[in-house]
Amino acid sequence: MQRALTVCPYCGTGCMLHLVSDSGRLVGVEPSATHPVNRGSLCIKGWNAFAFVAHPERLTRPLIRKNGALVPAGWDEALERVVTGIRAVQGTSGKDSVMFAASAKATNEENFLLMKLARRVFGTNNIDHCARLCHSSTVTGLVQMFGSGAMTNSIDCFDKSDLIFVIGSNTTEQHPLIGTRIMNAVRRGTKLIVADNRCIRLSRHADLHLRHKNGSDVPLLSAMMQTIVSEGLADTEFISARTENYGALVESLAGWSPEMAASITGLAAEEIVQAARMFAGARSAMIVYAMGITQHSHGVDNVRCCANLAMLTGNIGRPGTGVNPLRGQNNVQGACDMGALPDMYSGYQRAADPDVRSKFALAWGGEPLPDTPGLPLTLAMNAAHSGSIRAMFIMGENPILSDPDQGHARAALERLDLLVVQDIFLTETARMADVVLPAACYAEKDGTFTSTERRVQLLRKACDPPGDARPDWQIIAALAKSAGYSGMEYNGTAEIMEEISRLSPIYGGISHDRLTPYGLQWPCPDHNHPGTPILHVKGFSRGVGRFMPVAYRGPAEIPDKEYPLTLTTGRTYFHWHTGSMTRRSHLLEREEREGFVEVNPADAGRINLRDGESVVVSSRRGKVFVRARLTEIVPEGVLFMPFHFAENAANALTNNVLDQESHIPEFKICAVRMERVP
Amino acid sequence: MKRLTQDELLQFLKSWETCYDLRVPILLPDGGRAICRLADGPLAMHGGSVPAKPTSLFFPQDGLVFAAGANGYLERVDTEKRLFIIGLTPTDLQCLRFIDRFFSTGERDDLYFASRDKAIIAVVSGYCGRDGEFIPPSSGSCDLELYHDGIDWLLMPYSDEGRELAASFNAGDEVVSLESVHGKAVHPPSAEQEVVLAAAAILQETELPDAFWDEIGEHCIQCSGCNLTCPTCTCFGVQDWCYGEHTERRRVWDSCQLAGFMREAGGHNPLATAGQRSRRRIHHKLVADMSRWGEIGCFVCGRCDLACPTGIGIIAVSREIVTRFGMPDDNSKRD
Amino acid sequence: MPRADSCQSRSLYIPRDATILSVTELTSREKLFRLRLSDGSELKHLPGQFIQLSILGYGEAPISVASPPTRQGYFELGIRRVGSLTTAMHALKRGDKVGIRGPYGTPFDLGSMGGKDLLLISGGCGLAPMRSLIQYAADRKSEFGRVTILYGARSPDQLLFREDLDKWETISGFACSYTVDSREGDGCYSGSTGLITDLIRPIELSPAETEAVIVGPPAMYTPVIAALKEKGLSSQQISLSLERQMRCGVGKCGHCSIEHLYCCQDGPVFRLNVIEHLHGAL
Ligand SMILES: Cc1cc2nc3c(=O)[nH]c(=O)nc-3n(C[C@H](O)[C@H](O)[C@H](O)COP(=O)(O)OP(=O)(O)OC[C@H]3O[C@@H](n4cnc5c(N)ncnc54)[C@H](O)[C@@H]3O)c2cc1C
Ligand code: SF4
Ligand code: SF4
Ligand code: FES
Repeated sequence: MQRALTVCPYCGTGCMLHLVSDSGRLVGVEPSATHPVNRGSLCIKGWNAFAFVAHPERLTRPLIRKNGALVPAGWDEALERVVTGIRAVQGTSGKDSVMFAASAKATNEENFLLMKLARRVFGTNNIDHCARLCHSSTVTGLVQMFGSGAMTNSIDCFDKSDLIFVIGSNTTEQHPLIGTRIMNAVRRGTKLIVADNRCIRLSRHADLHLRHKNGSDVPLLSAMMQTIVSEGLADTEFISARTENYGALVESLAGWSPEMAASITGLAAEEIVQAARMFAGARSAMIVYAMGITQHSHGVDNVRCCANLAMLTGNIGRPGTGVNPLRGQNNVQGACDMGALPDMYSGYQRAADPDVRSKFALAWGGEPLPDTPGLPLTLAMNAAHSGSIRAMFIMGENPILSDPDQGHARAALERLDLLVVQDIFLTETARMADVVLPAACYAEKDGTFTSTERRVQLLRKACDPPGDARPDWQIIAALAKSAGYSGMEYNGTAEIMEEISRLSPIYGGISHDRLTPYGLQWPCPDHNHPGTPILHVKGFSRGVGRFMPVAYRGPAEIPDKEYPLTLTTGRTYFHWHTGSMTRRSHLLEREEREGFVEVNPADAGRINLRDGESVVVSSRRGKVFVRARLTEIVPEGVLFMPFHFAENAANALTNNVLDQESHIPEFKICAVRMERVP
Repeated sequence: MKRLTQDELLQFLKSWETCYDLRVPILLPDGGRAICRLADGPLAMHGGSVPAKPTSLFFPQDGLVFAAGANGYLERVDTEKRLFIIGLTPTDLQCLRFIDRFFSTGERDDLYFASRDKAIIAVVSGYCGRDGEFIPPSSGSCDLELYHDGIDWLLMPYSDEGRELAASFNAGDEVVSLESVHGKAVHPPSAEQEVVLAAAAILQETELPDAFWDEIGEHCIQCSGCNLTCPTCTCFGVQDWCYGEHTERRRVWDSCQLAGFMREAGGHNPLATAGQRSRRRIHHKLVADMSRWGEIGCFVCGRCDLACPTGIGIIAVSREIVTRFGMPDDNSKRD
Repeated sequence: MPRADSCQSRSLYIPRDATILSVTELTSREKLFRLRLSDGSELKHLPGQFIQLSILGYGEAPISVASPPTRQGYFELGIRRVGSLTTAMHALKRGDKVGIRGPYGTPFDLGSMGGKDLLLISGGCGLAPMRSLIQYAADRKSEFGRVTILYGARSPDQLLFREDLDKWETISGFACSYTVDSREGDGCYSGSTGLITDLIRPIELSPAETEAVIVGPPAMYTPVIAALKEKGLSSQQISLSLERQMRCGVGKCGHCSIEHLYCCQDGPVFRLNVIEHLHGAL
């Protein structure tokens, strides 16, 4: 039995594990016993990370649509079809009529190459990935205020904090091994405040649980800050030494008395005051958040409030402090770092900056790179719907299930002249494609993933891909070659990383040979740099931290007579996103076989609904049949649905309204109605 | 008995690679250890038991039950070379013995014994534990023992096969017996062993309040790590995979900490709450196994305590039980 | 050290082939399958035992044998469609082949039932295993005293083996009554409605001479046991068959454990006194 040390393919925690194989077939998993993050443990998904790899439904050959059906084809034919298809669309509708979707499941090297393919080979800035749907608000907000959009501190900081404030993160389910750090810290005496209107596991361990109404984070956080300011609990030394624009913040907080916020959030004013005093009173306090903060039409404002609160209390740049957005996908951090973004090249170098463009142009063979701004994924979907995007190349994503308003996403993809999907399974999206390219999964290739704490880690090949499937980076390189570009021939992923580090200062010191055993945390500017566990220690990345005042806006859709309930969506512990891997993993599938909707018994009582019975949940956009789970986890008036299940797709209901700055959709709130199935 | 230097040991091992499917402790790139082939990494004899459970050598996390083609069930292909496993500790050996009995009682599990029966096992003991800690030698129920006296390896054969293997290697001085080296020292139970035994005694006597188990369950994130690392856990689920006409039935380690473990098709679930599942995990080892096999099913190897991300492995829970429900000195009844 | 010779006999986990002889629809959810082992041999089971039914691609499930060993040349399985394997089974027809392992588990204690009056109480799908015992008793009437059969189902359209129920009624020395929770779905139903315990109350029995057997859904056990004890039966006189999620049927997979017992090996048929004090058994 062989072992290959690699990185868990699920969440952004970045646990490392050994894939155990026997005669070329995976037969199990063993956690890395020494890894500083997971320390010999894994969550249930990690322990089952081998389970889908040899699944009979893996894609093994390229597929091309002929006479309406997808039929197997050779690689040359498939690549040719992709290149001529894209060229044809660009010929008639312009270079920017093509959209490239990179993947938070693919490696850094692969995302970098797709970014290079889009910009250099096909001449468009239209490249983005699913970070648009999860943390684009974070990047937008934190870059403006701190100068860097990533988690400021490290996972180790959970062991060093006096107070952890979790808002909008079901950490034990979504980042389980970070969740357990929090639970363990609480047992050692760390204080915990949880702000979440569902009774998540952490709330049961919390010193204070704030069940504020969905979408009322800005009032809650503003009133906490107002209390801190008015009670003189602010860290004035930090504010004057390290920040700017404090006056504007104070001014903006003026109206936010605890009573005022109480009326909007549904909390008691005393709870808000208590939270403020606890937070400000801690020597070191961490803010931890995830989709509950970002996935709103005012997601960036939510993020700003978190950052304001941290600076107000001087909780930046020290161990056990910081603003800590937990990145969802195992490599969503990396995909952002690699410039799989319409406005950035790798290392967050702005595409609008001519110097940046000429630097990359020089490295990539001289030709000028596109200067028209690119489209974010969510707008590209709308553009496909309206006809200005004519072709899409999707690497390892399943927007039919993961994008808001499923009907809209499906119609958008149907209107394309060319849809290319590169994936490991024939997902709901791949079924609609004109060309399907079979990819190797994480266990079958080398490369790097960057975890939520900016830790760049090496994955190592444990077995061969099935049939003719190839690693994404080889597919992209082959596409470039078919398109006549010779600058993408690499002998291996280490060579791609060399190019990345040459062109991206924050990865400047990163090379594969430095990553054994536990990787390096960026920024890592040179080959002797040990990496950076905590950001903004001496100064902020942008110099001084900038306070940004926020005005409260409610959610875009609120319950009314016709749709009287609030629906919020998310994930469960056992499944990952659209379930293409976890639903093919024996134990994970057994634990959660179908979708469900959490219903408060009081709401159930009104329609005589019993536990386990089916309901129809409908919104202005669609309806879903699903089994009800009666539970006090959700408050009265609120339903919760996971979005993993194609049979009961939560995203048939969600609202495709976007935050104006980050273009993130409002997954966390829409208005619905629930009826019993007779 | 023979005395071997580290180099001689390596030679000894290499000499057996052609005849046996040799497995030895190696160093992994993250600094951890595992029992693998010599070619897979540098030999790492020191460090005590490896994290993977000993039974995984014969019964992997995901293993073939049988395969069937268009014309019926396919013959199982057993590897022709016998397994020769080095690096289990005497504690691991006790666990293995427990599971050998489990799998051979009643219907004999031929899948497990296909490789187990023919395996040659050499345990390690002496001053080669974690950080050089002393591992008390085994009672001899294996083929060979490699005892580290702080400098060299003493090779002690126990079975006929072990003697043959030792005899065929002509290096190293003869030593009379292990006893002559480390004396007749009696090794008192460790503090961990004591606390687990004390907890077992309490549980065998008393049913603890549900609230206690609920509190433990509240900390369990259902990762399954405790079961998947436990050397005396063997539960599995079954799944079929069809590759065209070729079907594989495979068995996959399962965990009683998962809500679906006992949920029946009709919806009834004897282990419906996290508290009940935590109770079952501890009770099964410390009470049920005692009733069924006459000994507790925990050999205090420490693996579940290492794997559990929230600190509720069996040793930790035993400590809780003893602290909260342990008998006061005066022997008076607990409430 | 355990050592075995190198010769490998057939694996414990490889099923034997069985051929479907006929399929009868019992209700919209249940079908009765009559099968024969493809090599022509008898199953050699006893009432109360189960087999592991295997369909390649869908795995296995424990199913009680619904026919008695006294009827040779075939065995029957009454199967409710609830999930993947049972759905696949329902799609099969005469002549199709499935896999069978077993029979496994403890049978009803025919020895100590000899000469006694039998009180056989089942609910829902539990009539399938009970039918094996009932038909056994019908075939060997002289070996038993009076046989009283009580059966309860959700609704009239969910009553299993209705023809059998009517037939058993007519056997001398047999009494058979059934009830449904609600009449819903069948306006013509003229039988009784109410809980199974309502059927127990009016029964006259001589406690010392009676052996009671219960097979039904988990929720049925507690009230039925209470009713029987009221009638003067002791735990030793009550047997029951427990359902658990079973994966192997041979005491290895661990899914069916009840404290130190394995339901597939030490059960599924238990005497009440053996399990009533075990945590989580009932
Ligand atoms: C000793 C014993 C004897 C038994 N005897 C009988 C008998 O005589 N007759 C009989 O009918 N049963 C009997 N059973 C019960 C029978 O074993 C189970 O009904 C069977 O194991 C179900 O197997 P399955 O693969 O069809 O269900 P599974 O697929 O395992 O399904 C289990 C549950 O999941 C749900 N489910 C299944 N598939 C899906 C899906 N795709 N999506 C969402 N939910 C799903 C089902 O609704 C069901 O509740 C017996 C059990 C035992 C232990
Ligand atoms: S916590 Fe995240 S990275 Fe760690 S094992 Fe679980 S899914 Fe994988
Ligand atoms: S290792 Fe700990 S958290 Fe994981 S299942 Fe076991 S008891 Fe629960
Ligand atoms: S069914 Fe596997 S142990 Fe009982």
